[in-house]
Amino acid sequence: MDVVISGLLLGGAYALVAMGLNLQYGVARIMNLANGEILILGGLAAFWAFVSFGLSPLLTLVIVAPLAFIGSWAMYKLLLRPLVRRAKTRGQLEVDSILATFGISFFLVGVMVSLRAEYFTYSFLATPVHLLGTTVAANRLVAALIAAAIGGALYLWLNRSRPGMAVRAVAVSPEAAGLVGINVDRVSAFAFALGGAVTALGGCLISTFVTLDASSGVLFTMKALIIVIMGGVGDIRGAIIAALILGLVETAVASIIDPGLTLVAAYAIFLAVLLFRPQGLFGQGNA
Amino acid sequence: MLEVQDISVSYGLHEALHGVSITVDRGEIVVILGANGAGKSSLLRAIAGMSDGKVRGAASLNAQALIGQKPDKVVETGLALVPEGRGIFGTLSVGENLTLGAYPARARAAEKDNLAKVLELFPKLKDRRAQIVRTMSGGEQQMVAIGRAIMSSPDILLLDEPSLGLSPILCQELFRNLAKIRDTGMGVLLVEQNARQSLAIADRGYLIENGHITGAGSARDLANDPAVQKAYLGATSY
Ligand SMILES: Nc1ncnc2c1ncn2[C@@H]1O[C@H](COP(=O)(O)OP(=O)(O)O)[C@@H](O)[C@H]1O
Ligand SMILES: [Mg+2]
Repeated sequence: MDVVISGLLLGGAYALVAMGLNLQYGVARIMNLANGEILILGGLAAFWAFVSFGLSPLLTLVIVAPLAFIGSWAMYKLLLRPLVRRAKTRGQLEVDSILATFGISFFLVGVMVSLRAEYFTYSFLATPVHLLGTTVAANRLVAALIAAAIGGALYLWLNRSRPGMAVRAVAVSPEAAGLVGINVDRVSAFAFALGGAVTALGGCLISTFVTLDASSGVLFTMKALIIVIMGGVGDIRGAIIAALILGLVETAVASIIDPGLTLVAAYAIFLAVLLFRPQGLFGQGNA
Repeated sequence: MLEVQDISVSYGLHEALHGVSITVDRGEIVVILGANGAGKSSLLRAIAGMSDGKVRGAASLNAQALIGQKPDKVVETGLALVPEGRGIFGTLSVGENLTLGAYPARARAAEKDNLAKVLELFPKLKDRRAQIVRTMSGGEQQMVAIGRAIMSSPDILLLDEPSLGLSPILCQELFRNLAKIRDTGMGVLLVEQNARQSLAIADRGYLIENGHITGAGSARDLANDPAVQKAYLGATSY
């Protein structure tokens, strides 16, 4: 039971990060390998605000979201838009954006190392809470609840509002989106920026219970990729289930076998998905 | 009124369309007849701002220039295209497709009226609002595509071979509906290989061959023209 609860709580935070990557890849068609670094930047901001000003990470969220939105928007407009313009096919854009964002991820790691080379450790709400017959750290519970609230709001916005529907429309078919009067360029930039903001929020939350450092972004990029592919690109419900599965499996492996094997477990799931359900858990072939 | 003046489209060195001029007024159906590869889709895509090639020439709708505009701007001027292959959102529901049709600013005020219009035209869609579009039959998907285009409140509706892949009965129904759409005051520009049925509902027509307009006239004159009968009405029988 402990494993299930902590696994689901971890999965909640992962789900938020995967939602961010899904917006960037599914809508803007940018496979952002710097996604994990944006997450770490969010974590670094939470750490820095807490250590320097005693600011609660929950308040830092409010500052991080608009900053990450603007930063990601600028990254899209300045660095990625030229690739979108020149790409003749979706495949070419994928290759170009992977190379470009891989480069950006190194740059961001460099910047963060120069800001803080050591681990970002701080203690926030590290008190035990009793939940369904087991004890979990309050920070994990709070992080998962906030992740669920943000993810839920995003889900409702995407599904119930007209601008949200326009974002999904671009994900389904940029050509058809143009035909109904959607400015595909603008919506793509917006979705990329929103994805960056969501990812950075995930980083803030994760930093309250995981010890991060400037170079751990790549691990989170891999996890987000695993979740997005397992859930099916563009499928938010799929991503949530996949994130919960990853959180459960990682926690189970760490507590029952060995904490050093969590990454191995993640890759094993990834491999299994690629072998047996390459279209995602709920995918029905090509969308 | 849609006015297309001297439009040429080239893909690399290959010029697919050479100086084509046509007009379409509100309240009329104009059909462009031409064989496969004649340049029909190239023309419609150039007008709608979706050409993959290089477009020269001019086109205007209600005195606003169209060429060089992105598709979303073209829709705002009052032109809606139902492309070959329909261009609908396959993984979204019927209702979502129709709501998205009303995305342009020009369509917001009349959204309710347009929806009523679409459901009157295609009553079948009424109890299918929640269905995912790609699980529907070809004829039903065509209804969604046309319905979605109507939701954007166009003055001129462009259709690229809408009868492609439909059974003869569904074709008949489709053309009857296009006539109804015209009667609401919309202009319809229809590109077709199905000459018999499209000429039967059209007011005027153009013939296109190898990227050139080779004939034009009233639908009745075209239907009685021996050359047209030989090329489009003789061998092809529907
Ligand atoms: N995207 C494209 N790239 C290169 N050539 C094209 C493209 N689209 C059409 N063509 C060429 O232009 C000509 C006209 O094609 P098209 O406009 O699709 O004709 P139609 O719709 O009448 O069948 C054809 O020779 C076709 O091969
Ligand atoms: Mg064609």
